Amino acid sequence: MTVRYLRHPELRFTAVEGEGVVLHLRTRRYFTVSESGLAVLEALAAPRTLEELVPVVLNRYEVTPERAEQSVRDFLERCLTADLLAVERVG
Amino acid sequence: MLRAWLDRAQLDPPIPVWIDVRLEQPPTLTDDPRPVFRQPGVVVRADPSDGGVHLTWEAAPAVAEVHATQPQACVTLSPSAAARLDECTDTFLVTVLIFLLRRTGWHHIHAATAVDPAGRGWLLAGDGQAGKSTTAALLATQGWRVGTDDTAFLAPLNGCVTAVAYRAPIALRPPGYRLLGRLGGTLLPRRRKLGYWPEELGGRFAARVVPDVILFTSVGIGPTTATPLGARESLAQLVRWSAWVMLEPDFAQQHLELLADLARQAKSYRVTLGPDLFARPARLTELLA
Repeated sequence: MTVRYLRHPELRFTAVEGEGVVLHLRTRRYFTVSESGLAVLEALAAPRTLEELVPVVLNRYEVTPERAEQSVRDFLERCLTADLLAVERVG
Repeated sequence: MLRAWLDRAQLDPPIPVWIDVRLEQPPTLTDDPRPVFRQPGVVVRADPSDGGVHLTWEAAPAVAEVHATQPQACVTLSPSAAARLDECTDTFLVTVLIFLLRRTGWHHIHAATAVDPAGRGWLLAGDGQAGKSTTAALLATQGWRVGTDDTAFLAPLNGCVTAVAYRAPIALRPPGYRLLGRLGGTLLPRRRKLGYWPEELGGRFAARVVPDVILFTSVGIGPTTATPLGARESLAQLVRWSAWVMLEPDFAQQHLELLADLARQAKSYRVTLGPDLFARPARLTELLA
C-alpha cells in the first residue's frame, strides 16, 4: 500500500524572511514553518509520498539521505497532528 | 441617512459597491450549518465561498446577504433596527461594508493610521484597549495627519500597501480624554466616549497612508518602550489584527499576501505606551530613530 500526503484544501501560506507562514482557514489557526517545511508544503501542491518528498530537502541542503528522510518524516507528523495534511492510501 | 454615513466614511473603492436596503421584517434564518464567526453584535457565516456571506445583527432583527464574489449586498432591516440606524451603521452595516470592500481588493485591519510631520506613514494596530485612539488624538494635537483611530482597509495602490481610512471621530474613553487634557469633543452616548475630529485637535485628515512604521501597541504604567520586530513576527501580528484573513478561501490568499507585503514594507515595533508620552509626545519618534 502506498501512503500519499496531501495538503488540507483550506491551507493558505506565504513566505517571509525565508520562512513560511501558514493559515488554516478551517481551524482558524496560524503556524510558522521553516524554510525546508515551506518547500515540502509547496511540493504538496499534488499528493506525494514520503519518498517523493525527501529529494525536496536533499536537493536544497547538504544532508545525508537518512537525515533528510527523518526531517521530512518529522515535519509530516507535526503537520498531520495540526491537521494541515491528510493521508490517502492507494493500492 | 445611509448615504450620509457612506459619504462621511470617505471611502473611494476601485469598484463601486452596491447595498440594496429593504425595510421589512427579515426572514428567519433556516438551518445554516456553516461555522460562525462572531464580531461584537454581529454573527457572520462566511464559508464555504460559493455560498456568499450571511450576516445577522444581534441587537435588532436585521440580516444581510453578501454576494459570493461581487461587491453587492442585500440588507433587510426591521423597523426596530431602522429606528437604531446610528448603532446599526456602527456595528452591523460597517461589517457588511468590510465584506463588500473585500470583493474590491481592500482588506480590513483593526488599526489607527497617521502621517508624521516628516511625511512618514504610521499604522498602529491592536485591540480596543491598546491605546490606539488616545495616541491618534495625541498625534493630532502635535500636527500629525490622522486617518482613523480604529478601522482601516489595506489596498495595493501604486506598488505599495496603502491603508485607507474609514473616517469617523477619534473616540476617547474618559481616561483617554483626561490624559489628553482637551475640552470639546462630541458625546458619543452609546459608546460612552467623546469623539474628536483630527481637525479639532490641531491635526488634519489623512485619507490614505502608506505605512513606513507599524506599531503593535499596548498600554503600560511605566515609560514608553519599543522593541523591533522582524517581518515574520510582524506578519503574525498583522494576521491577528486583520482576522478576516481567516474567512472565505477565495479571498484569503490575496489578503495574506497583502499582509506579507506590508510586513516587508514597513519597520515594525512592539510598543508599550506609557503616560510619559503625554508629557513628551516626541518620545515616540525618538524611540524609533
